[in-house]
Amino acid sequence: MSVLLLDEGNDVSRQALTLARRFGEPRSVPIDAVQPFAPDALAAALATAADELDATAVVAAGTERGNEVMARLAARSGLPFAANCVAVELGNPLTLTRLRWGGSLLEEARMHTALPLLTVAPHALPVDQGPAPQPVNVKRPEERELAVHVVEHIQPSHGGVSLADAKVIVSGGRGVGSKEGFAIIEELASLLGAAVGCSRAVTSAGWRPHSDQVGQTGTKVSPEVYIACGISGATQHTAGLKGAKRIVAINSDPQAPLMLNADYTVTGDLKEIVPAISAEIRRARAGRTS
Amino acid sequence: MTLASFIALWLAVAIALELFSRRALRLYRLVRSGKPVARFDDVPARARAEATDVLGQRKLLQRLVPGLVHAAIFWGFIVLFPTILIAMIGAVNPHGTLPRLGAQGWYALLVDVFALAVLIGVGAAFVIRKLVRPARFQGSHLGEADLILGLIAGIVLTLFLWHSSQIALGLNDYPAAWAPISNALSRVVAPVAPVTERVAVWAHVLIILSFLVYLPYSKHLHILVAAINVYFGRTRARGRLEPINFEAPETEVRFGSGRASDMTWKQMLDTMSCTECGRCQDVCPAYYTGKALSPKLLIMAMRDNLFSGSTAPIVPNAVTDDIVWDCVTCGACVRECPVNIEHIDHIVDLRRHLVMVESRFPEEAGTMLRDVDRTSNPWGRPQSDRMQWADGLGVRVLQPGEEPPDVLFWVGCAPAFDERARKAAVSTAKLMQQAGVDFAVLGPRESCTGDPARRMGDEYTFQRLANENVATLNGAKVKKIVTTCPHCFNTIGNEYPDFGGRYQVVHHSEFLAELVRDGRLQPAASERTITYHDSCYLARHNDVRAQPRELVAAVGKAVEMPRNRERTFCCGAGGARMWMEEKRGRPINQERVREAAATGAETLAVACPFCTVMLDDGVRETGAKLQVFDLATLLHEAVAGRQTAEEL
Repeated sequence: MSVLLLDEGNDVSRQALTLARRFGEPRSVPIDAVQPFAPDALAAALATAADELDATAVVAAGTERGNEVMARLAARSGLPFAANCVAVELGNPLTLTRLRWGGSLLEEARMHTALPLLTVAPHALPVDQGPAPQPVNVKRPEERELAVHVVEHIQPSHGGVSLADAKVIVSGGRGVGSKEGFAIIEELASLLGAAVGCSRAVTSAGWRPHSDQVGQTGTKVSPEVYIACGISGATQHTAGLKGAKRIVAINSDPQAPLMLNADYTVTGDLKEIVPAISAEIRRARAGRTS
Repeated sequence: MTLASFIALWLAVAIALELFSRRALRLYRLVRSGKPVARFDDVPARARAEATDVLGQRKLLQRLVPGLVHAAIFWGFIVLFPTILIAMIGAVNPHGTLPRLGAQGWYALLVDVFALAVLIGVGAAFVIRKLVRPARFQGSHLGEADLILGLIAGIVLTLFLWHSSQIALGLNDYPAAWAPISNALSRVVAPVAPVTERVAVWAHVLIILSFLVYLPYSKHLHILVAAINVYFGRTRARGRLEPINFEAPETEVRFGSGRASDMTWKQMLDTMSCTECGRCQDVCPAYYTGKALSPKLLIMAMRDNLFSGSTAPIVPNAVTDDIVWDCVTCGACVRECPVNIEHIDHIVDLRRHLVMVESRFPEEAGTMLRDVDRTSNPWGRPQSDRMQWADGLGVRVLQPGEEPPDVLFWVGCAPAFDERARKAAVSTAKLMQQAGVDFAVLGPRESCTGDPARRMGDEYTFQRLANENVATLNGAKVKKIVTTCPHCFNTIGNEYPDFGGRYQVVHHSEFLAELVRDGRLQPAASERTITYHDSCYLARHNDVRAQPRELVAAVGKAVEMPRNRERTFCCGAGGARMWMEEKRGRPINQERVREAAATGAETLAVACPFCTVMLDDGVRETGAKLQVFDLATLLHEAVAGRQTAEEL
């Protein structure tokens, strides 16, 4: 009896393999069997392979890609699908426990089906140490069989530094004063190789896109240094700063909450201070190179 | 002639009743298929609602002119009801009438007067709809309303025509002098009276029968359903949500409303009661600021979806996601609705399904839900920081096993963790110390009440927190709780009794007003002009309106905003909107700040930590010349001011 595994070639897939072995002889479909990545085409390929092998289960890693392909397989085949399982007991019905709610809830469910579709939540099961399963030869399905056609793949631009991963962030608040005012923030950020962030007041005013917003309802950041310019430090904002190691606050109001909680503070007009810092950095670098 | 008339009448009545009951029975079965909800208790309160809201037209009269128009038509029809029978008898036998009543002069007078009232009412309604055209009718079925008004006008006009021809022909059993209008008209119709008498009475009866048939197919169904819906409206606290019973057998647990068949019977009745009058839409902060939600269109969509027999998910097929998440649960719509539709229950049930079954909600709110669940406060701060606000104040933290204080000060997460909201907690603590109140706080043993999770639809997390907090409070033998947060106030006071927590819960504005009244706090009033912003969960959901105003009067000069007391306009934070981005329409907080600034007041007083943050943001964003202060902070300044003055 065969069981089909969508293999991403990573640890989570080998954890999924641990589960797959309990259903029978595992056979794998590598996730790059269809290139570039096309979830609907992969789902179609899995459906065909499961049919040909008369598989007893289809298992994948509970990753974004694994879950998407399996959801499409479920929609295609009309079979029930349980995502992000942490424990499965064989039998009819299948008894399983799975993560809901980004991991804060455990759901116990019973699944009545001859062919269960399952994904395994990362770190829920041990990594399989056995031999890699035999791959199945899959043909790329005909375009006419697909509900979704991949027209083009666009690589994300690596121009800016992403907020969530940035080591240094220069962030502006209402004190920056205008959309144009962010020029000095951007200048300092580019000198430091830093990402540009902002507070909710700034996105509300339409000066920056929501993707730049740091805080409770924006991005949570954890840089080595967070330079807050003209940000008073409402809870909405500081809730996103819990991971920041050092906070530098520049504000004309020394009593602003963020000024009281920062590691370093500069009291004064950010429109003078920020360009002065940039100029100093330039000067120091010029001195070093000459 | 009489026999033919008799057969014709019975045929018409039989056909009308058959068509009517076919539809009525279908609607009845639909409502009976609804999910259970406990609305059969508390008969006296329900009878009272029936008397005031239906017979007394209380909620309609909240808007005087349209209210009077409706009342004229409604009371008119109650008075005219027996004339249906009288007309049917008269149609068969021109000389016959209803024994006793048909011959009474006083009844003839009543009929004449109220028929005129109905006619004036219909005329005024036409003027409102055709000339005034208020925005609240946007999206309503306007043609249907015209047809209904036309039918009503037809009923009354044929009645007048019939009565006046009767009098002209001497067929009236009542003294003609008692029916002054019909009597006056009788001279006009006299030349054609024999024909008009027959035509009018038959037209009258047939219009009424067609009206009866049309009713259950139209939005005018409310004539039959509204009184029932009012009867089954909520009698207990308005701010309370129905809990989900997770202990029920799993097939019976209702995770909100995913499909039409998940709705409770009261919710189904709600949709049938809606007359599309748009009063809810008129007061909705989301609609007012150009967002997707209109409470009226929501209920109409729920009705259309229910009647269509669709088994598809309600969201997004009948109601979009945006509509569900735009609601601030301020309750303005519920308060305004003349037929007791409970819009918030619909919204929360849709959210419950989206959140608990589909895990689908505005992305940015996920942080709050996770943090409430993991760290017991919406900002993910460690519980150990809960007492930071009280540094140096010497506030007693109640330890397990200690004797309970007279008053437990429930601080709340926002006052404990938010810099701006903190001032209210500090001021309240200092004032209680000055007044010699024996109080303590729970410190790190206090958790979020679960309100934001509950209003988001995450009933599961709410109930976990509710049970934990109730266990802590009961364990500490707490009797009386004071809180500065209207949301904590509402949740502990109105919702914790469902989880075994019964305490006397007092908002700090009530408690401080009492201390001032008793002379335990003596503020010096200043010349400062203050406009007070009512919190929805205080003024509307819980009727606390007078005490905050006592405090305002004790510290300064009050100026009211146009939308005040139970008609207050939300700050934009309710319904867990505090933790969502306001991506659609104009910002609600700025709208409210502009209204406050227009009063010319120097100070915008609030009594809620969320209003504090939202309105303070609004002041900064609009550049309004206003300072936002909690009432406790204003009172504390005024008390300190007097002490300094006395020392000098």
